[in-house]
Amino acid sequence: MDYAFLKVTAGAIATFALYSILFKENSFYRFFEHVFLGLAAGYSMVAIWQDTLYENWWLKMFGQPATATATEVAGYWPYALLVPIGLMGYFVFSKKNNWMSRIPIGILLGLWSGQQITNWWRTFGPQILGSMKPIIPNDFSRFTVPAQSVRDASGALTPLPPDQLEIIQNTVYPSVAISNVVFLVTLLSAMSYFIFSYEVKGKFMTGLNTVGRWMLMMGFGAIFGNTVMARFALVIDRMAYVFIEWGQQNLLRVLGGG
Amino acid sequence: MSIAERMMNVDRRILYVILAVVVSGALFIPVNIPATPDDSSAGVYVGLSEIPQDKVLLIQSDWTLSTRGENLGHFEALLRVVMGQNRKFVLYSLADPQAPQVARDALRVLNAERKDRGLEPYILGQDYLDLGFFPNAENTAQAMGSNLRNLWANRKTKSPNGEIDIWQSPVLQGVSKIEDIGALVVVTASNTIDIAIQRLSDKVTIICMCTGVTGPTVLPYFSTGQLKGLAIGLKGVYDMELLMTYGMNDTSSGENKITNPKYGVALKLENSNTYGRGRQYYGALHGALALIILAIVLGNVAMLTAKKAEAA
Repeated sequence: MDYAFLKVTAGAIATFALYSILFKENSFYRFFEHVFLGLAAGYSMVAIWQDTLYENWWLKMFGQPATATATEVAGYWPYALLVPIGLMGYFVFSKKNNWMSRIPIGILLGLWSGQQITNWWRTFGPQILGSMKPIIPNDFSRFTVPAQSVRDASGALTPLPPDQLEIIQNTVYPSVAISNVVFLVTLLSAMSYFIFSYEVKGKFMTGLNTVGRWMLMMGFGAIFGNTVMARFALVIDRMAYVFIEWGQQNLLRVLGGG
Repeated sequence: MSIAERMMNVDRRILYVILAVVVSGALFIPVNIPATPDDSSAGVYVGLSEIPQDKVLLIQSDWTLSTRGENLGHFEALLRVVMGQNRKFVLYSLADPQAPQVARDALRVLNAERKDRGLEPYILGQDYLDLGFFPNAENTAQAMGSNLRNLWANRKTKSPNGEIDIWQSPVLQGVSKIEDIGALVVVTASNTIDIAIQRLSDKVTIICMCTGVTGPTVLPYFSTGQLKGLAIGLKGVYDMELLMTYGMNDTSSGENKITNPKYGVALKLENSNTYGRGRQYYGALHGALALIILAIVLGNVAMLTAKKAEAA
């Protein structure tokens, strides 16, 4: 038995333990739940020091001596000022002095708020521009978009030359226009569902509102479907870990004397 | 109790066992399920292939074991492409302190795979950099956009020549700001892709590989061109593996060629494993989905039958 086998075996036992809750509540599950929480908290504390605080704060504050392959780096004492600012956050637990915790919170909020205008535009600007699609066809010679690939001598599909592709991709065929209308209706109706500033009245607005609700439901359905697939992927991976990584690649090797 | 009533009252643990048997059985029989790579996945492969060879990649690995089922496949596919094309990269995480370690573990496995093929493994400080975890994703991403050199100033890395400043390593040669980077690839299970889009999308090409849960909220970024490519969930992993195997519009693949007029030519990957977790898991996913559809149909049939019997 080697270290690799013990490591993978520990993982397999933890997997069995955590899945045992599916059978019924039991102390085997609870034990491993607590082990997991303790490990995650302990690991995170060490990782935050090693990967973050040591590299980004400690070494910058104290500097680094010259080595055979690197020059000396001078320390920068103002990094020490971050300690009292950070510690102020813990005054949130003090009834008398909890105002002090608002100082680091205020600094973080200020930094965050200052970024939001450009962030908003970078997120939604291109999406607003992308929503402006043509809904009137400019070519009625055919209804649908023509094929953009042809079969070559080997029977495989090959895209048309770039200049022909560009013409096709810039043309609004009736089928493209219909797709764009569907997109526009979806966009406007979904947005109309979120009009809360005044009471929605009249056949057109209530109808649009209802269409919006249906569109949102379809969207949620698609998202839920994706979520189900994602959850299955996790189960599949665990089964692969237990039966292939542990059972086939490690347990059989050890039992076989490998 | 009638059959319909029995079907509706079946013990959920029986369903769990059936699911485990179906999924586990399918894992041992990997099959090539016919599929056409999505435009978004093709964008990842073609986008990576179009980056000039001398440009370094930033790989933001923001996943942990909790989403290993999807993100490990993404990460392995990404590294196979990057290492297969002999590109240098910088690895770091913004989402979770555990994220760097799972990425290191995956990298170690892929390096062993390269050794088995007789290739040189990737060497820390020479072929890639590992910068670990940065807290506060928002401000770190902002700082990356403003002054990358200052953010990563005085950081050291192990290298074949001993410990050196990361800026002295061959990986970061020619880089002084984020605009000098070939592309930022975010492998994520959370909203760190939103943060990258908000702060860096006008400075560097961004590619994303994300879970099925976050996929629908990220897809609009691809539709509007804010993302060059997007691989979603297990389908994204399988798409990447197909593209590694056959390339995009690659004439050398003959009849198996994958064609998409929206993209140029991206050659298939030579000298590397192409199929991995995508193919292995995709069949099992189909088995699980078939089972859930069957369970829904049977459950509804049983309910209707029971209602009819009750009415009669």
